[in-house]
Amino acid sequence: MLAPLYDWVDERLKLKPIEQTLLDEPIPGGASWNYVFGSATLFLFVLQAITGMCLSIYYVPSPDHAYDTVQYIENEVWFGWFIRGLHHWGASAVIMAVGLHMLQVFFDGAYKRPREMMWMVGVVLLLLMLGFGFTGYLLPWDQNAYWATQVGINMAGTTPIIGDFIVRLMRGGETLGALTLSRFFAIHVMILPAIMMVGVMLHIFILRRVGPAGPHDKAQAMQGSETFYPRQVYMDAVVMLFVFCILAVLAYTVQFPLADKADPSDHSFIPVPEWYFLFHYQLLKWAPGPLVGYASWALPAAFIFCLFALPFLDRNTERVPSSRPMVMAGGMAFLVTMFVLLGISLRDLYAVPRTDPVIAKGEALVQKFACKTCHRIHGDGANVAPDLSYVADRHPEREWHIRHFKDPQSVSPGSFMPKFPLSDTQLNNLTSYVLTLKSGKH
Amino acid sequence: MEVETPVSSDEAESGVSTPVGTRRSFFARVTAAISTVIGLSLTIPIVGYVVFPAFQRKKQEWVPIAKIDDLPVEQPKALDYTVAEKDGWLETKATKGIWAIKHSNDEVTVFSPICPHLGCGYKWDGQDRLFKCPCHGSVYNLKGVVQAGPAPRPLDTLPVKVENGELLVIYKEFKSGLADQTEI
Repeated sequence: MLAPLYDWVDERLKLKPIEQTLLDEPIPGGASWNYVFGSATLFLFVLQAITGMCLSIYYVPSPDHAYDTVQYIENEVWFGWFIRGLHHWGASAVIMAVGLHMLQVFFDGAYKRPREMMWMVGVVLLLLMLGFGFTGYLLPWDQNAYWATQVGINMAGTTPIIGDFIVRLMRGGETLGALTLSRFFAIHVMILPAIMMVGVMLHIFILRRVGPAGPHDKAQAMQGSETFYPRQVYMDAVVMLFVFCILAVLAYTVQFPLADKADPSDHSFIPVPEWYFLFHYQLLKWAPGPLVGYASWALPAAFIFCLFALPFLDRNTERVPSSRPMVMAGGMAFLVTMFVLLGISLRDLYAVPRTDPVIAKGEALVQKFACKTCHRIHGDGANVAPDLSYVADRHPEREWHIRHFKDPQSVSPGSFMPKFPLSDTQLNNLTSYVLTLKSGKH
Repeated sequence: MEVETPVSSDEAESGVSTPVGTRRSFFARVTAAISTVIGLSLTIPIVGYVVFPAFQRKKQEWVPIAKIDDLPVEQPKALDYTVAEKDGWLETKATKGIWAIKHSNDEVTVFSPICPHLGCGYKWDGQDRLFKCPCHGSVYNLKGVVQAGPAPRPLDTLPVKVENGELLVIYKEFKSGLADQTEI
């Protein structure tokens, strides 16, 4: 059906040569599953762009409304939770895809002459991607967004001489507030995408001018080549489907609710950065006082410089990994350090259960009203009234608990539980705590 | 129909080559199928997401506006009708003025405050016992019937009920200038 239309357009615009240039690019050594990471990254970037455009339909970048609009998307707009879920998980996936793509290029020595520029543009694209992650994290304007961004900005503030200026520039003034949110939004949805598009085009342009590196194994490279279409395109498509399915399943099954609305006066909140910044976050915990500055800006700056200059630091033309022991060892050392730090950081995070302040306040109310005079919770308290250890399994709906606290007999006839004089806030805090009492949560 | 080109034994031994024939069309079909699956899985939610507000209707609820005992009999009284309006994610409180006329303790007429002629706000003239619109001179009696002026229809009445001694009203707006009452 589309073929006649294509022929009609082709007759006028002469598309066939372009089609051939795009699809018949020779892949040295043949199509391979090793080459799918770049396409997967591009696919994820496009997916982020599409879901991001959708989110911007309802999102408003103002401290007054940002949180409400994200809640609206999450809870009311049809498929809003799905679009936001895709964008949320897609952000992590794109960083992973970039990481794998870079590892493959690093391992294969594909950054070496004549592909130095492709690698350097790639490093810039990585930094832009991290910029997307950092600026996007603030936009929902919940406690986590606010305090994690506060920490991120303060890290930049440890840079000597210009640190203070950088902080003001990033915040758009003295404090993190309305001006910060609107500039982060502009950077996230206008400026970075524009630079990113130019960067991606340049990256692909260089690829097409220089050609793919092919296998580092000479014998394999000598086996000839095949065109990009159809087998490499097919492999890329299979991987895209795989990645898309994972994201869709995550978006469908793992809800990602917001924390409380950002409260600049609540200093008790412990923020957690995105996992891809965690290894650095962990490093900062260990840096002794005078070295914090170096750990937070000098180390990343040095690392980025090395990464950027890698094709010139490593002038050995040999691509086979076994013939480049120093570089491989350096790369391995970085990976091991990063994953160990990430592991320790994750372990620490889960060892100390982070409690939402609302839940903590609710738990305090249990003490205040002496609930355990009658109820038992995880072995603590009297056994006069029902054991509440897993009460949220029996009654997972907030509504039920609210009605129950207001008038116990209305939902539980014959109950001898008294009515407690709870304010609306107390009622909310207490139910938030009670809803955490379920099995599978320790 | 595409015919599979036989691959010479030389070529097969020497390594890779671009797939041809049915192998080629197999890859093409799988690629097309995957594009369709991803495309549809994205398009359906996105269409729903985008059209969502077009299918939302404002919820009309009974709002208590006065104690029935506070209303004078057969004497129009201007009352405030306050309602939390939800405009997408934005919740605002809107106040509208309405006219209530109590006939008995369970019979009340409530008029929309908007003149059905061109949408001005009309007033009650206590001396003449008539509603008068200052803009174009439409005049209505206590029952809302047009007495003079260009108004095409009587004053618009609003749904009303009395429960537990309270007057409850649903606020509605109607198009001005038409002989028939058409809700906006």
